[in-house]
Amino acid sequence: MSALVARVRRIPSWQFTLGVALLVLGFLITAQLRSLVPRTQYDSSDLPPLRQTAQELQAAQDQLKAQILDLRAQVQAAEQNGQGNAAQITALNAQLGDARLAAGLVALQGPGVVVSLRDSTRPVPPGAAPGDLLVSAADLRQVIDLLWLSGAEAVSVNGERIAVTTPLTDIGSSVLVNSSYLQPPYQISAIGPADLYTRLATSAAFVAYLQNRAQAVGLDVALLQSNDVQVPAYSGTVNLIHARPVASPVPGGSASPIGSATP
Amino acid sequence: MRTARGHWAVSAVLFVMGVLLVVQFRAQTANGGLSNLTTQDLTTLIANLNDRNSELRSEVADLQAQLRTLQGTQQTGASNVGQLQSELQQLRMWSGLDPVRGDGVVIIIDGPITAAASNEILNELRIAGAEAMAIDGVRVVPGTVVGGNPGGLSVENVALPMPFHLEAIGDPANLQAVLQRAGGVISRIAVAQPDVTVEVAATTMTLPGTDRDLDAPDAKPQL
Repeated sequence: MSALVARVRRIPSWQFTLGVALLVLGFLITAQLRSLVPRTQYDSSDLPPLRQTAQELQAAQDQLKAQILDLRAQVQAAEQNGQGNAAQITALNAQLGDARLAAGLVALQGPGVVVSLRDSTRPVPPGAAPGDLLVSAADLRQVIDLLWLSGAEAVSVNGERIAVTTPLTDIGSSVLVNSSYLQPPYQISAIGPADLYTRLATSAAFVAYLQNRAQAVGLDVALLQSNDVQVPAYSGTVNLIHARPVASPVPGGSASPIGSATP
Repeated sequence: MRTARGHWAVSAVLFVMGVLLVVQFRAQTANGGLSNLTTQDLTTLIANLNDRNSELRSEVADLQAQLRTLQGTQQTGASNVGQLQSELQQLRMWSGLDPVRGDGVVIIIDGPITAAASNEILNELRIAGAEAMAIDGVRVVPGTVVGGNPGGLSVENVALPMPFHLEAIGDPANLQAVLQRAGGVISRIAVAQPDVTVEVAATTMTLPGTDRDLDAPDAKPQL
């Protein structure tokens, strides 16, 4: 017995440390290999067909949007080199510039607020649905509406500009903005007057939202004031099918008739 | 000597362990996005993306045609004035600067509806493809939001009377179907706010241009 104890005592301590470390290493390698097995099924090579289709469609959409932004820039350049009565062309280009700004077709930067919203990490309380603890389209709409009411002049969510026709909808546990699939966490960027942050943070409706919704379920809502908030241009369609011009003098005070503009 | 070799061995093992820990942690947290969606959700998402992409494709085709016409006119030396006026008119109607006329729906709301529910109806109208909207005669532009408490709602600092109406130009059948579908916004309001009545009718309407300046005075174009 004492021989054995003496033998164990002769083993240097680093061998014990190494032994324990190798044991933990073995566990980690096993955990890693095991977690790799189900994950490889989600790699692009053999994604379930629906998921792959959705990914391809979203990639195609991103490409179409880039193409639209590029074409709009080319059209604008061609219009600035427009031929005709020089004074009239200059005036029309100035009016087009204002209209593009109003429509959200111009990427903007300026002072403002960035609000980030993250899903709750709390365990789902009994009686609640897991979806209640996630940031939903209703959460984003509420915060965006309160930003507008606080004086915001341009707003985007994760790179999607909020234009006059922009809907926000839920798809399962995620959100579609301009029919683009957004991944959490969500970042709402808003440009506005210098006191936008104060107006939002002190508005009774925002305080009520934080208390009754965000804090109640544990959503992480963070406000950041910045002098350089970036809001991208709207890259969707500006087509009108059902809306027609009202027979009236030409917009913008120009004296010449629109002629064949109505399809 | 022996101790030094031991230190090297321990260091090497700890290094490998650290790398594996990080890889493992990342594998656990990167599991977001599409993999959370059910088959039903994915089908809805794909339908949305399909509709949107065909809209965007026709926008691309329109812009390409517009560009060709502009460049073609410039080669022949003819005037571009008509083309610029036509584009200006479309942009001013779309953005809400100019009045528009067309078919759509009028929604008459009576009772102590919340601001959030009113804004939700506007969002549903956008989902249904509304091209232009107005709240009690105030044209909806980016930032036009119903505010205030039930019974004291306002839009752009003008108090809303009771009843008030929302108007939207678009495909009337589609607009009505989205609003009135089972589990849609109107049936949800009926459950949550039983004192509120919401009526929808198809009609032809003229919506005014906005009174607001949409020039974003605190913003600059990105360079």
